[in-house]
Amino acid sequence: MKKKSVLLALLVLSLVFMMVIGCQDVEEPAADDDESGVDEPVDDVDDEDAEDDSGMIEAGDEIVVALEAEPTSLDPFNSTDGVSTSVQKTMFEGLLKFDENLQIAPFLAESYEYNEDATEIRFVLRENVTFHDGTPLNAEVVKANFDFVLDPDNGLARRSFFNFIEEVEVAGEFEVILHATEANASMASYLAHPTAGMKSLEEINKKIEDPDYNLDRSAIGTGPFKYVEWLDGQHVLVEKNDDYWNQDAMARVENIKFTSVQEASTRVNQLRVGEVHFVDTLPTGDADDLMGAEHVTVFSGPSMNVFYIGMNLQEDKYENEAVRHAMNHAIDKDQLIAQVVDGFGRVADSAIAPPVYGYSPQEVYEYDVDLAKSLMDEGGLAEGFEATLWTRNSTEFTAIAEFVAMQLREIGIEVDVQAYESGTLFDMLDNNDGTDLWIGRWSPGTGEADWGLRPNFASDRVPPNYNNSGFYINEEIDDLLNAALSNPDEAERLELYRQAQEIIYKDAPWVFLHVVDAVAAQRAEVGGIYIMQDGSVDMNGVHFINQ
Amino acid sequence: MATYITRRLLQMIPILFIVSVLAFLFVHLTPGDPIRIMYGIEIDQETYQQLREREGFNDPLPVQYGRYMSDVLRGDFGVSYRTRANVSAEIGRRFINTFILAGISMVWATIAGLITGIISAVKRNSLLDRFVMTLSVTSISIPSFWLGLLLMQVLAVRLGWLPTSGIGGIRHLIMPAFVLGATVAAIVARFTRSSLLETLGEDYIRTARAKGQVRQKVIFRHALRNALIPVVTMTGLQFGFLIGGAIAIETVFSWPGLGSYLIDGILNRDYPVVQALIMLFSLQFLVVNLLVDITYAYLNPQIRYS
Repeated sequence: MKKKSVLLALLVLSLVFMMVIGCQDVEEPAADDDESGVDEPVDDVDDEDAEDDSGMIEAGDEIVVALEAEPTSLDPFNSTDGVSTSVQKTMFEGLLKFDENLQIAPFLAESYEYNEDATEIRFVLRENVTFHDGTPLNAEVVKANFDFVLDPDNGLARRSFFNFIEEVEVAGEFEVILHATEANASMASYLAHPTAGMKSLEEINKKIEDPDYNLDRSAIGTGPFKYVEWLDGQHVLVEKNDDYWNQDAMARVENIKFTSVQEASTRVNQLRVGEVHFVDTLPTGDADDLMGAEHVTVFSGPSMNVFYIGMNLQEDKYENEAVRHAMNHAIDKDQLIAQVVDGFGRVADSAIAPPVYGYSPQEVYEYDVDLAKSLMDEGGLAEGFEATLWTRNSTEFTAIAEFVAMQLREIGIEVDVQAYESGTLFDMLDNNDGTDLWIGRWSPGTGEADWGLRPNFASDRVPPNYNNSGFYINEEIDDLLNAALSNPDEAERLELYRQAQEIIYKDAPWVFLHVVDAVAAQRAEVGGIYIMQDGSVDMNGVHFINQ
Repeated sequence: MATYITRRLLQMIPILFIVSVLAFLFVHLTPGDPIRIMYGIEIDQETYQQLREREGFNDPLPVQYGRYMSDVLRGDFGVSYRTRANVSAEIGRRFINTFILAGISMVWATIAGLITGIISAVKRNSLLDRFVMTLSVTSISIPSFWLGLLLMQVLAVRLGWLPTSGIGGIRHLIMPAFVLGATVAAIVARFTRSSLLETLGEDYIRTARAKGQVRQKVIFRHALRNALIPVVTMTGLQFGFLIGGAIAIETVFSWPGLGSYLIDGILNRDYPVVQALIMLFSLQFLVVNLLVDITYAYLNPQIRYS
């Protein structure tokens, strides 16, 4: 009897205890969270009289963005993914930038110029720029930044991105000259990339003095927003920088909260309800769904991602150009786009995508099974052959692989699809572990043709060196790419890149598939968000429309 | 009792050691490379090798294990490869989130399950019994992520009564706690019913009734107490599972708990995170089992530990 009551008391106590913990810990975050103020009106207003008001959500001071994943780092020098870039862009700025049309524009530099043979690039810096910690931007800071990323001891993921820099010279308080290891007329593109964001000298010194100082989770840049906090699995919060150097481009909201919401359908629901204002990388199926939704705008445009089937040209079966052409003609690209990405894409008419600098469209290999069969015949492989097709194991990649396997069977190629986790697949390609066919995707980080073509088609980028996993060797291409890189004359460079693309498309070392659209959606009450073609988002001008 | 508990606690040490070896092997032998997953094809071979060196992947596995364990014994579970956050601190923060969610789900599920289970057993084969049992089978069978998405669609998107997801106020807890508890409630109800029915058929129950004891007293004082033993075991196990983080529910509702942490960790081959979580989950199960055994002693005076 006694024991029973003890047990009962214990049970009741633990219940009460749980309730109390439950209430306390859950309430806390809400207290310092402006959102709770946003939540309430939605409940009451939503159903009855929301329709007559364009700003259904009370225009707050906080923009909430739902990203598909968490950033990997707040340090532009140490991350390669689009999610991290989107977050970093609010806080960090480079000497140059890409504008909305992917044109290079001065940013922290007032102006820049190449020397005659494109071995140097000289910057004149703005004089009124200060970092979030109050320290000024000058030539010394720029030098310290590049020296820091280039130092192999710092082990930064983006070091090789800056490999073209031989030395950084301080030519005056606000004047810097970058000396390149060899002629390189693409330098400006590299420096306009968000990876080249400048951090304050104090930050770099802190890291040098204390190797445990965590630059991945701190951010002192010059941007219109300042870093506030990063709660893992929840959000990264940035706030308006009141001392921003550019009075014309001051932030128009108080905060941006980047939440990470892995589940795509949850992101879509949050947008429908208005809990978030912007959703990045929307699955195309959901995009279709959202098209008709109230207060939501869906937008899409070509991304820089080209999908292709790579083939190992060391294999005899792919030696004959006619066979490679046959494979290109055998795939119905339009149906592939309709089926795999719900129509959000276009046929790849070059080895690089339309938004990439230097892109030049080629005549597409039309879908024609009869022609493909006769080309197989011409190539001496009329009876077909067996092939192994490697793919990443994500839904999108496997869907593409299954589709092309089916179509290649039509012309007698018996394709065995094998799906691998992406890291494993990269390793297999880098080590040439029996490479045959594989589904690839490439997007040039710098947004220009050199990074679009060189890693995939230059002779010196074969395994294990980089991404030319099919061993495409063509000296003509090497010469054209090198000539373009060392030529600062824009018209001449574009012509060289055009020639290179023409040769590659004709040679067909790939089966050229499609370029996917970047799809995103936002609430109708906000404006000023741009999706850059590299997949990252520029939110610096975001604002509520009725404000 | 105290010696018993001490002995049980000491027995956990070798078990946890074995778990640490298994967890280490499990994550390191799984195909996939954290560096490649994190940085993709954007980095070239040279940088790739440098980054591997930075994380110490080029050392032989025993060396890596030794280094890891010596850190762990000093209470340092390392830093997440993916987000560079301190794993111990992060687990601490997320444990609270998961504990709140699991705790609240458990409380309502146990109460609801017990009550419906008892009613069903007492009113066996009645319409009410059949209804409750059908409901519980349905609840066990429905995949929880589907139920979660459905509720979100109705309660959050269509009606706008509740926030869709995330962590915030009490209102953020309602849907995930309901979905998470639904299965547990159903299991508890079925267990209670069958266990109670079995006990009600025992001789001593008939004796109790025969001596003139009131039916309710028989049920609650004699039958239920004995019937609860298997229910407690099962409830404990369920709690063990829940406290390990409800992977599907936490992902659907973006709840920053241990389940979503584990999924992120596995997807990104975030070794320190996965290893630490496996050890934590093992420890939790050991502790929950111990608590269950202790509860037995209270429920059944015949069970004694020494």
